Amino acid sequence: MKLLTKYYRANILATLVVVVLSSVCYYFLIHHVLIEQLDDALEVEEQEVIEYVKQNSVLPAPSSYEDQAVNFKEASGKGMQRTFRTISFFNHEDKAHLATRQLIFPIEVKGKIYNVFVLRSQEETDELVRLILIITVLIILLLLIILFLINRFMLQRLWEPFNSTLRHLKQFNLSGKYELQAQKTSINEFRELNDAVSIMTIKVNKEYDALKNLTEIASHEMQTPLAIINSKLDLLIQGENINEKQMEQLQAIYNALDRLSRLNKSLLLLAKIENNQFNLSVNISLDTVLREKLQQLEELSGNKSQVIYADIHPVNIKGNEELLDILVSNLLNNAIRYNLEGGTISVSLKDNLLVISNTSPLPALDENKIFLRFYRHAGTKPEGSGLGLSIVKQICHDAGYILRYFYREERHEFTVQF
Amino acid sequence: MTGAACFNIHYLPVKITCLKILIIEDEVELSESIATYLKGEEYICEIAADYKSAVYKTEVYEYDCIILDITLPGGSGLEILKQLKANNNVDGVLIISARNSIEDKVAGLTLGADDYLPKPFHLSELSARIAAIIRRRNFFGSNIIEFNEISMDTQAKSITINGHSPELTKKEYELLLYLICNKRKVISKNAIAQHLWADETERNIDFIYTHIKNLRKKIVEAGGTDYIKSVYGMGYKFTD
Repeated sequence: MKLLTKYYRANILATLVVVVLSSVCYYFLIHHVLIEQLDDALEVEEQEVIEYVKQNSVLPAPSSYEDQAVNFKEASGKGMQRTFRTISFFNHEDKAHLATRQLIFPIEVKGKIYNVFVLRSQEETDELVRLILIITVLIILLLLIILFLINRFMLQRLWEPFNSTLRHLKQFNLSGKYELQAQKTSINEFRELNDAVSIMTIKVNKEYDALKNLTEIASHEMQTPLAIINSKLDLLIQGENINEKQMEQLQAIYNALDRLSRLNKSLLLLAKIENNQFNLSVNISLDTVLREKLQQLEELSGNKSQVIYADIHPVNIKGNEELLDILVSNLLNNAIRYNLEGGTISVSLKDNLLVISNTSPLPALDENKIFLRFYRHAGTKPEGSGLGLSIVKQICHDAGYILRYFYREERHEFTVQF
Repeated sequence: MTGAACFNIHYLPVKITCLKILIIEDEVELSESIATYLKGEEYICEIAADYKSAVYKTEVYEYDCIILDITLPGGSGLEILKQLKANNNVDGVLIISARNSIEDKVAGLTLGADDYLPKPFHLSELSARIAAIIRRRNFFGSNIIEFNEISMDTQAKSITINGHSPELTKKEYELLLYLICNKRKVISKNAIAQHLWADETERNIDFIYTHIKNLRKKIVEAGGTDYIKSVYGMGYKFTD
């Protein structure tokens, strides 16, 4: 539910209750006051009748003018108790029920008791009450219309700075250079919100940049010590007096160093892709890249008995040659490395879709985990860097390609939609 | 021109048969390793560990090849390269950089460097690259590299042994050239793998053995001596 809707519901409900309640109060108050006034007028008439009887010792003639009438009736016994009452009777002229206020009191004339009826029409009062009802309804209608208009024009505009900030926040992307372009507003709450969001995004961007740069700088800084170790090893093996055992150990150091160098290069590459340091708008013939890579791999995998089925159609895309080379190479390397002895690899490139699938002793992989950095499926050899698929994923993410993993018919299949 | 240029008047470069190399590198351990490795061949090495002394040396002396690190205390290696080219210096330049990025590579090569080698590298690789630069720069020299009866034509990419010309595959040719460039040195299999397949060779170092075996066979069949010595299974040495 929108904040506005919630606010309006409360607002309208409260307004309605207040308006209705106050109308009811008005009604009773005004009704009470008018009846009081009528009664006062009836009492004046009563006094006049009593004065007249006192002076003339006879009853005045029954009268009826305008909306007031006085009637007398001989009473049996002591006469009626003095009372005010409202009665309704049918008027044959107007063909309608008319409300009338009546004062009844007894009077004694020459030993005889009479009941005096003083009547006054209550029509005006009812008229007024009706008017109040109409006004109330009109006020409610007016209120609803005003609230609707305020909502439509005023509040939408009032909340616009907030909505604008929200839109910007939704577009916020860590890896993109982003600065909050907040709408200027005179409302303190929104200004405070914008300031807070602004400070937060700057802080987040700074931290993220620092982290990214740290990876890149650290990888760079590691290259020199690696170069020193490498050079010292290269010198060490020139020695005349190295025995076989020591050579074996040196070989192990070489291998570890190779791994470390490759790992470092992979991390550096990841950092560079994240930092958008590659031009992605070069026209590339993907089928050529793929064919060259397959040729290179065939040479390297010569002593592994695998069959590669390739179905390659010309595909031209915009991208970065270095990155595409790495993407294709990583996927193919995996297909060879994790394949069965005598297994098959199938490579297909058609309609901007690259599909590489291979047989493997490995079961279906967890597609939520395989693209994570340094994730290694249990039982795989630790000769890879653990970054190959992360790099592929990062390249796809950066260039807007869609990378998917499937496991069907006991084959591991990676597809890239360019 | 700085004051150092005054020396130029008194200094007369003496042509010596040894090739002169200047190593501009602030990491002493690395520059010393390079110098030690290269001294074993026909090179004389000098070391400059910072920007100022590098500028001074390049202005005063002539070198056949300059090994140039980009990040130096006191200035950028690319700045030195710019000055070298502005002064029409003909020294060959090989950039070695810890910043393995295409931009640096492109920038360096555009400024006139002959080659770019990212750190970390094998000394044998460095040596082969230097040899290639000197060969290319040596306009009046030949493209022929000789080792006893084996002679390699780097232009035609062919070899001749006692008048026979065995057909080598591309990889075998590269392997032989690499071995001869690093003659009498032990080269690790890792270094060979990296040279032949760059970063591709994630798994198959032992695959080199096949190439070595084929190469040996072809040389011996052409009447050459088998100079390739295996060193405890960890590398090879091309030696007589």
